Amino acid sequence: MSLPQDEIDHYKRNLPRAFAAPLSLRLRRGTLALGFAALVAWCLYAFGFSPERIWNGLGRLGRVLGFMFPPHIWTDPEDIADIAKGLGETLAMAFLGTLLGALVAFPLSFLGAKNINRFTPLRFGVRRGFDVIRALETLIVALVFIRAFGLGPLAGVLAIAVGEVGVLAKLFAEAIENTAEKPQEGVVAAGGSRPQAIRIGLMPQIWPVLLSITLYNFESNVRTGTILGIVGAGGIGFLLSDRIGAYRWGEAWSIIFLIIILVYVIDWLSARIRARFIGKWEGVR
Amino acid sequence: MLLEVRNVSRVFGAKTAVDRMSFTLDKPGFLGIIGRSGAGKSTFLRLVNRLTGASGGEIRFRGKNVLALRGAEMRAWQSQCAMIFQQFNLVPRMDVASNVLHGLLNRRSTLATMFSLWSDADIHRALEILDRLGIAEQAAKRAEALSGGQQQRVAIARALMQDPAIILADEPIASLDPMNAQIVMDSLRRIHDEDGRTVIANLHTLDTARRYCDRVIGMRDGRIVFDGRPDQLSAAVAREIYGANEHFSEAATSTSIDVLEPGDAELLPA
Repeated sequence: MSLPQDEIDHYKRNLPRAFAAPLSLRLRRGTLALGFAALVAWCLYAFGFSPERIWNGLGRLGRVLGFMFPPHIWTDPEDIADIAKGLGETLAMAFLGTLLGALVAFPLSFLGAKNINRFTPLRFGVRRGFDVIRALETLIVALVFIRAFGLGPLAGVLAIAVGEVGVLAKLFAEAIENTAEKPQEGVVAAGGSRPQAIRIGLMPQIWPVLLSITLYNFESNVRTGTILGIVGAGGIGFLLSDRIGAYRWGEAWSIIFLIIILVYVIDWLSARIRARFIGKWEGVR
Repeated sequence: MLLEVRNVSRVFGAKTAVDRMSFTLDKPGFLGIIGRSGAGKSTFLRLVNRLTGASGGEIRFRGKNVLALRGAEMRAWQSQCAMIFQQFNLVPRMDVASNVLHGLLNRRSTLATMFSLWSDADIHRALEILDRLGIAEQAAKRAEALSGGQQQRVAIARALMQDPAIILADEPIASLDPMNAQIVMDSLRRIHDEDGRTVIANLHTLDTARRYCDRVIGMRDGRIVFDGRPDQLSAAVAREIYGANEHFSEAATSTSIDVLEPGDAELLPA
């Protein structure tokens, strides 16, 4: 069942776009593809991606990885106390930083939510404020705070808290904007005031989302906290950078394993907490 | 005079949703408003409850113009005229009893309501009302765990908790299956018969209106095109309300409730 050629020609005349894109469009696509390929090639050249360097690097990487096994096990009680203190400090920094950030972000998020703050200039200003905070990487904030508050966990906690305000306020505001209007309408129609509508009609909708976001950020901050330690803001990261600097790779790897286990445990724990609050839990009152 | 609606209009941009509507209700009744989607039925109920502002006119309840009320006075009026919605508008993550207690929001201190602090007497009354609607055993469940018909009965319970003079029901059965639609309409009718509360219900179809209402108002394009007893709803009136299309008018006269077979009544709670 083949079409007669004149019918095909008829369609080609009337619907040329169904057969091929116009020449200008094909040219533009071709130019873009070429430009993209040139950019990639230049980047590879500029950063010295030569097969020889990659090969030599892989050899050294293999030696470093070789220190993983057997894992170093600390026997000196003083060493064990040091490591435990470092891990605990990182965990505590992440916990306190996330909590402080969430406490400040919660009220701010209402100012940034379209369905609560209908005064556009204020909402716009608050939102841009969140953006500015987020634009500052936590690591940079930490470097500044170490100058201001001195070396140690205090600078780390404050750096995490400040960073979290920007992130959590934005995410909380979006959670508030994503709520259904109808429960609030029900409250207002029954004679409820606007604060009552927000408290009763809106907040029950956002609790699980807020909890979920905050728990995830806590977990993420445990990882961030490790890096903050490397620049001197306390925690396990300091011990890690110390061991790497001294070429004690066996110990460094064991610290990395402990960090992975810590993050895994937190992930498991937050999944349990989330399930408890979001699942079939009925003890609402 | 219980309720006096005079020249009430509501304009949304270029569209006039409610166009100089007028009618009076001199004693408590069960009033049905019928019409196609977009005829202005919902907008009218929302005007009465003050969820939407009017563009003009007056709605007088026992002589007082409720459209002029502001702030606390307006909220007091809202608590007197309870509203029931097509989508129930409950707080899904809260338990049934709490949702019913929300009918008291205007009568209890803001602080207490913010922390869900209700007296035992209030909780007892909420349970009594739920029992009257046959769903007391669901009181501790989350609202979202209930079926649509049960949720609508929770919404009716919340309305009763407000001890309202008027109950406004905006398409109360449009999202429900035939059996639940009948339970909900029967409940509303019983509330009118037993408590003497006025019910104004927006209904899609002639047949539900014929079956439950003492008086029917037909709306088309924001205007009242029929106002009379249900037995006056002739085929000609249906065409006037639902449009010239004969087929459509006929379809509109049969309701979901008609689908029930006579024997199904035994399945319904007494």
